[in-house]
Amino acid sequence: MNPGPMVSALLRNKTGAILVALQVAVTLAIVINSLYIIVLRVEKMNRETGIDVANVIITYVRGFGDDFDVVDSITNDINLIKSIPGVVAATVSNHVPLSGSGSGTGLRTVADLSIDSISTARYRWSEEGLDSLGVKLSRGRNFLPEEVNFIRPEDDPPAPASILITQDLADALFGEEDALGKTVYWGSLEPSTIVGIIGRMHGSWVNWDKLGNVVIQPGKPAYTTNKLIIRVEPGMRDELIPVIEETLGESNRARVVKSVRPLEELAARSYRRDRGMAIILSIVISLLIGLTALVIVGLTAFHVTQRTKQIGTRRALGARRIDIIRQFMLENWLITTMGAFIGVVLTVAVAYWLETSFELERLDWSYLPIGIVVLWVLSSVAVFAPARRAAAVSPAVATRSV
Amino acid sequence: MFKYDVKLAFKSMRRNPIMTALMVAAIAVGIGVSMTTLTVYYMMSSNPIPEKSDELFAVTLDSWSPLRPFDDDNPERAPHQLTYHDAERLLSFAEAKRQVAMFESSLIIEPVKAEDLPFEAFARVTSTDFFAMFDVPFIHGSGWDKTTDAAAEPVVVLGKQLNEKLFGGENSVGNWLTMEGTRFRVAGVIDSWEPTPRFYDPINGAFQEINEMFIPLSLTRVLELSSVGSDWGWKSEEITSFEQWLNSEAVWIQYFIELETAGGRGEYVAHLNAYVNEQKKLGRFERPLNNNIYNVEEWMDYHEVVANDAKVLVGLSFLFLVVCLLSTIALTLTKFIGKKAETSLRRALGASRQTIFKQQIVEVAVIGFSGGLIGLALVTLGLQGIEYLYDSPEGMVRFDWVMVLTALGIAIVSSMIAGLYPAWRVCNIPPATQLKTQ
Repeated sequence: MNPGPMVSALLRNKTGAILVALQVAVTLAIVINSLYIIVLRVEKMNRETGIDVANVIITYVRGFGDDFDVVDSITNDINLIKSIPGVVAATVSNHVPLSGSGSGTGLRTVADLSIDSISTARYRWSEEGLDSLGVKLSRGRNFLPEEVNFIRPEDDPPAPASILITQDLADALFGEEDALGKTVYWGSLEPSTIVGIIGRMHGSWVNWDKLGNVVIQPGKPAYTTNKLIIRVEPGMRDELIPVIEETLGESNRARVVKSVRPLEELAARSYRRDRGMAIILSIVISLLIGLTALVIVGLTAFHVTQRTKQIGTRRALGARRIDIIRQFMLENWLITTMGAFIGVVLTVAVAYWLETSFELERLDWSYLPIGIVVLWVLSSVAVFAPARRAAAVSPAVATRSV
Repeated sequence: MFKYDVKLAFKSMRRNPIMTALMVAAIAVGIGVSMTTLTVYYMMSSNPIPEKSDELFAVTLDSWSPLRPFDDDNPERAPHQLTYHDAERLLSFAEAKRQVAMFESSLIIEPVKAEDLPFEAFARVTSTDFFAMFDVPFIHGSGWDKTTDAAAEPVVVLGKQLNEKLFGGENSVGNWLTMEGTRFRVAGVIDSWEPTPRFYDPINGAFQEINEMFIPLSLTRVLELSSVGSDWGWKSEEITSFEQWLNSEAVWIQYFIELETAGGRGEYVAHLNAYVNEQKKLGRFERPLNNNIYNVEEWMDYHEVVANDAKVLVGLSFLFLVVCLLSTIALTLTKFIGKKAETSLRRALGASRQTIFKQQIVEVAVIGFSGGLIGLALVTLGLQGIEYLYDSPEGMVRFDWVMVLTALGIAIVSSMIAGLYPAWRVCNIPPATQLKTQ
């Protein structure tokens, strides 16, 4: 084919071509970097939690007044809740995983405070705790009922004989070695034995890089606010929430049932910044791609109108329709490719800025070729309709004066 | 003449409705996206108490473990909160013009009328100077004085919303309220007071409204009030009573001072060091001296109140604006060049270069202004979306006049810059050549 008309057309409007190429370049830089951030956030939100999030209900109950007995209240609440058909298991806990509120501690494999400890989230719940969250024990055993006692704020109990830890925490503490049956030491240097290992369970703080580190102590925390974790049969959650709220509310007026909510809602709240960022960036890149495509359509359409006579002349001199379409497509391809080259440099620059200024993860370079291909396809689609219109110009136009 | 230019601009815009619509849309979307993110950034980084931000300081004392720093990532930092007993001691010295020790708690409010239900409300447990120090506006009554605080009298200052809920918004000063079995006298009601960011407690969230009422710090001991904010500890201590908790090395009290002038800073730190040196003799504060005070701006930086995400969004959205401007330039250029014939004719009929240039600039300014207006509507929409996505209190992200003018300014100036080169190209079209080919 003859590149002559194409190149001369481009040269005639150099500035226009450069502008579009620059636009394509900046578009590429924004789209690739944004897309990468979106993918990271979505992956973060979709991590396997090890918890049956969809079927868990969380209730906060708080008593008041001098006659209030917190141990009675918790015992009655758990019994009442478990008598509701559809409830699988229930426990009182010191904190709720994924909720953003929790307690942390440090564990050591040797009783020496000068050695750095391994940080972990810490929970305390009954022998029904695992079942109440749908968390699976991969090895060892659960707490025995006789290991579980009520613990009041003033109790300051000794370290429990038996604890459960997650595989992530086991790896952090013992590396390759088998953690089951081993002893770990708390900040007080009191020992506890690992009796069970949980394959996976997320702790409270979703933005923490050690989210998978969890240790569980046996006990029923009898604090001011009682946090109850309830698991129900699949599909029963939304129907049981009002039932639980009503049952608890009527049973004892000397307290406030603060909220009965799905764990899913608490988790979504913890992830709202990530979800917000992913949604905002998705909107931004949709607008951007839409705008760039429309501008290419608009500019090409305008050029077609401007060059009607030239196109007609070419057609009169024997150029086929396909030649005209090819001319416009190639012209556009050349501009897009030029833009893509500048775009790669810009993308890397923006990625570098994000990585160094905001500690974002380094851009996965495989996004670059994907981005370029997407741009090619997009700009070709955008240019196709006006190019077809150009091809429809009759050769007779050449004989007319404009 | 200007009117004629505007008339010509509209005429030219109508001739190419698609091109015009694209240009307006490009500017509108560019302004919409970039100003939305800029407004969020502006809100997050704004000075919550401009008249005093240089005289107010957060106080930190390094009471942490001798074995390791409070924050491994920033080992030079002391803990960001104080132990209860240190805070109490500093309050009693009263070395600054004003000082306040505080934490966040929650209490059950028992029903005033039998048919109401009890409910939980947040309370800031704080010392006397809080209201004067942070310029809290009162509707009724006032805070409490030092004697009331010293005597641990149960008084409460209600937030506007809580007063509405409990007393229908009336002047409730002198009324009584039962919380956790204790009768509190209402001392005052404050007007809406939402400094943004919530500079006095960024530790527990810089962008939320949680203070429903305020009660004296001395009640902590009497009512055994626990903190709902974060507490941190390093020492393994036996705690089997509330008193032991108050005397523990756990840090959970926020401490602020007001100095006469920002210059009194060194003197106050020297006072802190003297206190800590004395404590060292008792075997506490085993780390090297590291006591600091931070003014409001420094305290906001310390807690990275402006989220990285907000900065990233501002950066990316201004690149977006660049794309929109490049579009505008490309579209303007193409359009003006398409008007070669008309321009040649006008030049041949005597229009000077300046006239042509001015007319082109007016045309892009009109387009920029229209784009800016639509952009502002998009910003309003965008901010509502962000409030929804981030679950922030309604009206927290406001769009004020500064931002409206900035948006319109950016729209017009940038579209004119975008129009400069094309206008220059157009006014250089010679009068005759274009006519010849006709």
